[in-house]
Amino acid sequence: MMDQHKTVLHAQNIRKSYGSRGNVQQVLKGIDLRVLEGEFVGIMGASGAGKTTLLNVLATIDRTTEGSILIGDSDISKMKDRELSEFRRDKLGFIFQDYNLLDTLTVKENILLPVSLGKMKKRVAEDHFKSIADILGIKELADKYPHEISGGQKQRTSAARALINKPSMVFADEPTGALDSKSASSLLGTLEDVNKQRGVTIMMVTHDPVASSYCSRVVFLKDGNIYSELYRGDKTRQAFFQEILKVQGVLGGDSVDAL
Amino acid sequence: MTLFDLVIRSMRKNIKHYYLYFFALIFSVVLYFVFATLQHDPAVVAQSGGSMGSAFTVAGILLLFIAGIFVVYANAIFLRRRSREIGLYQLIGLTKGSVSRLLIIENTLLSAGALAIGIGAGILVSRVFLLLLMKLIGFEGFIEVTFSVAAVVQTVIVFLGIIILTSIQMLVAVYRNTLLGLFNAEKTGEHPKKPKAFRSAFLAILGMALIAFGYWLSGRMLNALLFINMIAVLTTTILGTYLLFRVAISWLLYQIRKRKQGHLGLYNSLSLAPLMHRMKGNANSLTIITVLSAMTLTMLAGVYSLYYSTEKETRLVYPFDFTFDDFWYEDGQDASAKFVSELDKQNIEYTYSTIETLKVDGQFEEGSVSALLSDYFGASIISEEQLQQAGVDIEIPNSDTAYLYDAGIYWLLKTMEVPFDVKLSNTEKELQLEVAKVNEGNALNPSGGTQLVVKDAFYQELKELFLNDKSGSHITITNTINVPDRDQLADASAIFHRINEENDQFGYDYYSQYVFGMENYGLLIFISGFLGLVFLISTGSILYFKQMTEAEQEKSSYATLRQLGFTVQDIMRGIVRKQVFVFGLPLLIGLLHSIFAIKAASFIFMSDITLPASIAMGFYALIYLVFAFLTVGYYRKTVKAAL
Repeated sequence: MMDQHKTVLHAQNIRKSYGSRGNVQQVLKGIDLRVLEGEFVGIMGASGAGKTTLLNVLATIDRTTEGSILIGDSDISKMKDRELSEFRRDKLGFIFQDYNLLDTLTVKENILLPVSLGKMKKRVAEDHFKSIADILGIKELADKYPHEISGGQKQRTSAARALINKPSMVFADEPTGALDSKSASSLLGTLEDVNKQRGVTIMMVTHDPVASSYCSRVVFLKDGNIYSELYRGDKTRQAFFQEILKVQGVLGGDSVDAL
Repeated sequence: MTLFDLVIRSMRKNIKHYYLYFFALIFSVVLYFVFATLQHDPAVVAQSGGSMGSAFTVAGILLLFIAGIFVVYANAIFLRRRSREIGLYQLIGLTKGSVSRLLIIENTLLSAGALAIGIGAGILVSRVFLLLLMKLIGFEGFIEVTFSVAAVVQTVIVFLGIIILTSIQMLVAVYRNTLLGLFNAEKTGEHPKKPKAFRSAFLAILGMALIAFGYWLSGRMLNALLFINMIAVLTTTILGTYLLFRVAISWLLYQIRKRKQGHLGLYNSLSLAPLMHRMKGNANSLTIITVLSAMTLTMLAGVYSLYYSTEKETRLVYPFDFTFDDFWYEDGQDASAKFVSELDKQNIEYTYSTIETLKVDGQFEEGSVSALLSDYFGASIISEEQLQQAGVDIEIPNSDTAYLYDAGIYWLLKTMEVPFDVKLSNTEKELQLEVAKVNEGNALNPSGGTQLVVKDAFYQELKELFLNDKSGSHITITNTINVPDRDQLADASAIFHRINEENDQFGYDYYSQYVFGMENYGLLIFISGFLGLVFLISTGSILYFKQMTEAEQEKSSYATLRQLGFTVQDIMRGIVRKQVFVFGLPLLIGLLHSIFAIKAASFIFMSDITLPASIAMGFYALIYLVFAFLTVGYYRKTVKAAL
């Protein structure tokens, strides 16, 4: 069924190493990954497995040492910094673990930030804002400052900011990492809705099996390589969750991290 | 590990936090030491002496205050940046006492180092400053900078005082703050609240009205209430400036932001929003910086105008190089003859002529002149033709009218509406004379009296009318001598003074008045330039330090923005907009204040001072802007390193 959709992201043989000569540490050791339109991909793995590095590389925040990445039709591994910035602004959305909202801006101002330099008309932007704020349930918070709202609300604001420019892909780095379980499941439910109803492609790094059970596919990393993949298919979330736990058990070493 | 080891270790690790404070200290030491050296320098003491010595003392006290405030301010910023570290020491179990001791040892080491380096550097640069000073006051000779022990002692004492002050500041920081407060100190910033509409609008308008009133009053200060007026102008403009920063601008920014309805855009998000967040805290420092800038600008522009205009102003008062008349001399003719023969002996070229002056009593119409002035004056009537023949390029009045010259009271007369009538009289005759114009300066070197220049034909008429045996009117002859060659003029001036002394006479000549002015104003421009530089660098540095702290605080915002896909250039554009506000506004308002202040003070000048005042202001703005560029550079570094 998925094959009918077109590829949004295609990464081939991605390698990433840090350090200089004599002390090189390879974090990603040749990863191939294809993400289709409308997918909700979870990336799991123990600490140091390379989850965040992979996300940063795919999200154009960091550069690969080797390999090519296509997002849509663009080969981002060949782009210059300037083009990359513009690409991020126009095509990608980001949700971070610690929200990364600007303290000096209100919720609405924060959300509208990514479209502030684009060509989007004010009226259109206003409409976008209304519909997204509606879905995320933060319409009433529009004029509040980040310090006046809860963590869950902050993360919803951050999610709304990621969606405002209708990105081809949203990258989320541990979005529930700083939330209590109730806020976390509420946010994940919303992300799932956005994914299903609006067809937004999402890639999420997490080490929480509960969080990844909301995904349509979970990719497991181990020591810089893809260890295995799980598709949710038509399974219930509960069943999918059990499967994830099993793989995680085999993968080992994550028990400490999962706490 | 002893406490001392810890001190050394923390200093080595924290060098990048220290260097800012360290440079602020060194800078203050160097300037203070240079000033103290000059103050004690025998050459300077000999040259300036007397009244100018007190100018040095006053400037020294001012300098002390600025240096003190500046160091304390830099220390406060430095402490805030390190508050987390101070908290950490306490968290791992050091007592408040040990932490204080640690900080005070550090501070003492740092200050001692700065003192040593500063005095060393001061010895090197004081020569440059001394040369500059001597050049400004026109002293041409060999000068030797003597190493002044007194200056060293004075500097050390002053900075010991400052070390004690900063140590107390550190004690307060350690003892007064809770651990939590220390850990969060770097994050503090308020959140803009909706201003109360009526109150804000009222205060904003009040602020602008106060400034406007101050400006208005500054143009009308010259009356019996001069002193009260000056205080009123100062109070209203300073208060108005504070309200402007504290209320008016916040209110304006709030209105702009409200109108955007959330569509703030990147540039405003990086300028308007952070400004609003810090407006409360910034209002004080922006007001102080504005007022300081205004004062410095006024001082610099005023003193530079004095220096710049010395030659012109002196020439206006003394149109002839030398004059001999019966006012200053028992026998002007005789004194003149002695002088001329001496000039001949020395082969000095000169031109000689005589000018006749008719002395009568004059009276302004009652109530027509300023209350500061008497209605009666001694009138010296001069024929325009004789002045022309003596080589003075003078304006020719219409027949039957006069041009009035009196440098001493020009500032009071220049506001009078012309033409006006004056009454000329002696014991027998009376005449109403129309004054068509009040001109700058004198027509003839000052010789006790207001000069009225008339056409030659009219002069003869007046002479006939007033001059007879019974009346008190009389004619005096002024012998005028001009020396066209400038080098010879100095020699001639020396001869003039020698002859005067030999004959127990007293007289003024153009050249020695000019030299006297250059010496006084040269010293004045040096002292005020020095103070101005210190003011400027202090205010510039304070803004720079403040912005540096802000940049650090906003680093995470820049990281987020770059992740969201904004380029360094995009972000910098917003930051530059903020800097235009932070640096530009105090400069602009300061300039405006000083323009009005200079305008109010311009009455002491006869010549136009637009040019020298503009030069001084432009120079100030230029150096000030260097700090803005440095700040933008620092931000660029921060933004680039953010991702």
